[in-house]
Amino acid sequence: MDIFSSLMQGFATCLTPYNLWMAALGCFFGTLVGILPGLGASATIAMLLPITFGMDATPAMIMICAIYYGAMYGGSTTSILVNVPGESSSVVTAIEGYKLARKGKAGTALGLSAIGSFFAGTVGTIFLVFAAVPLAELSLKFGPADFFSLMLMGMLTIIFVGGKSIPKSLMSAVIGLMIGCVGTDIVQGQPRFAYGVPELLDGISFITMVMGTFGISEVLVSAEEFLKMEPMKVKFSELFPSFAEVWQCRWAIVRGSLVGFFVGSLPGSGASIASFIEYGVERSLHKDPGSFGTGVIEGVAGPESANNAATSGAMVPLLALGIPGTASTGVMLGALILYGLQPGPMLFVDNGPFVWAVIASMFIGNTILIFMNLPMVPLFASLLRIPYALLYPAILIVCIIGSYSLSMSVFDVGVMLIFGIVGYFMKKADIPAAPMLPALLLGPMIERSLYQALNLSHGNMMTFINHPISATLLAISTLMCIAIGFKSVRKTRAMIQDDDA
Amino acid sequence: MIKADRIFGVIGLLLSLWSFLESRRWDYMAEYSPGPGFFPFWLGLTLAIISCYLLYDTYRRKPSEEDHKSVLPRKQALYRIGSIMLVFTGVVVFMNTLGFTLAIALFVATILYVLEKYNIYKSIGYAIAYSATVWLVFTYLLEMNFPVGFLGI
Repeated sequence: MDIFSSLMQGFATCLTPYNLWMAALGCFFGTLVGILPGLGASATIAMLLPITFGMDATPAMIMICAIYYGAMYGGSTTSILVNVPGESSSVVTAIEGYKLARKGKAGTALGLSAIGSFFAGTVGTIFLVFAAVPLAELSLKFGPADFFSLMLMGMLTIIFVGGKSIPKSLMSAVIGLMIGCVGTDIVQGQPRFAYGVPELLDGISFITMVMGTFGISEVLVSAEEFLKMEPMKVKFSELFPSFAEVWQCRWAIVRGSLVGFFVGSLPGSGASIASFIEYGVERSLHKDPGSFGTGVIEGVAGPESANNAATSGAMVPLLALGIPGTASTGVMLGALILYGLQPGPMLFVDNGPFVWAVIASMFIGNTILIFMNLPMVPLFASLLRIPYALLYPAILIVCIIGSYSLSMSVFDVGVMLIFGIVGYFMKKADIPAAPMLPALLLGPMIERSLYQALNLSHGNMMTFINHPISATLLAISTLMCIAIGFKSVRKTRAMIQDDDA
Repeated sequence: MIKADRIFGVIGLLLSLWSFLESRRWDYMAEYSPGPGFFPFWLGLTLAIISCYLLYDTYRRKPSEEDHKSVLPRKQALYRIGSIMLVFTGVVVFMNTLGFTLAIALFVATILYVLEKYNIYKSIGYAIAYSATVWLVFTYLLEMNFPVGFLGI
């Protein structure tokens, strides 16, 4: 079956009232939680995962995807109205968006953000359709050595873009890999770091860890800072930018879509990196670069488009290779396993209708998002007026429910609490948590590929060089290591990270 | 930040030592491939090197303005964070005995009354509203199973 007919079948599955309802609910809940300061897409998906537990895999994943881009949009609203980015990918939006809001153009910023997100999400999903299938077909030719090299490259990317300091990113990734060692070893079936605790034999749940390091720790930071929010008031009639403003931003939106998809599809880089790069692109191409930072509409439209296109891009390695590039897609990978599916290249072969329904739902979800969220901005903004003292117990309760429901065990709630404390101190010490989380997922995968590759080659290490795909990926990894040593690359990287701070 | 880096450097060293020592309990190599001890050994070693670098860097670099920031929360913030953690731990420990609904109600009431200084009636009111919502959405509508305590809820 060709791509077009598969996609049409996906639309047929997706356009049932129940699945449409799930997409709409996902968009609503994703925006609702994503709008809360500090809670990014990964924490939002992890917290809302229990809602999908009683469902079949297809509606559940449709809802999860809708939560994903709903959360991305929610983060932008907080950035524009209160100057408190809901997640790192919205930091750039806060720079220009909040300035626009101060000028009385909050509605324009929110409207452009919604239009840019819709366009980029749709374009990104079209690219996803045409990139994921050939990649999945190509990856069927991948052997364990190729997968090992690919994941190694992904790990390096995660480390290099993970934070201001490479040693700290590396430290975070190594700790993630160590946590990934907890459980039953794949070689001899021996328990490692389990110390007779039965709950540890299956390893530490990635989703629990995300809720702890991104959800609980964020609540602690906000509680410490006595967070008070005073969102700008915005009326429904002000939410639509003029045609001239949209026309002015057309190329920023197109560029954002392209940059976002490309950057998002690279394992390890995500929406944050995409939005920062796009902001840099817009600033350098603008006729008055000096005006950036004072409320330039292209500075909102471009990065917002980029971060939404990056969500589609991030689905490419997840669906085609079964490799999560970001914490959000890591949670989605965990969700796929919970629904009894085996992520990876065979997903397209064994569960084609499921994958195509999910992809089709991304087109529909983006459409729902623009029609639902624009009129509801005043409602979402009013959520930000609820005192944080009443909001954070609710966040903690949802985290408790989320972690408990994974295995119906209080043990997971305790683990989440521990990671909440660890995440809090990591934030204080400027150690990025982002590399730790994908490392936890990639660690066992890397170990398994290494084990399989060496067993197949009877212990011959040259197997990684003899396979052309593996050799190419290792060469790219080596080049990345060398490039990071160059002063100019370090300087550019530092500039991006300084903006991030 | 220098203090924080030193603390994390030492924690990293301890973790690496732990991983290194534990790795000796398992085979380093299987017949053709790495054994269960291979990864913990190399991860321990890598972490030791990074931790040493982090420690070395704190003595080498010129302290910046950011380096004077403290990693530990201020007294009042420490009280708030500590209280939240304590109440949270209480939920984890007593959830099976009290039952989920009651544990959640007590959790909310304690946070609002003790920490956020809401009056007792408001605290109890919000606690009942939160736990009723949780029961309605997760137990009743989504049919999820949570621990039932001595009160049968």
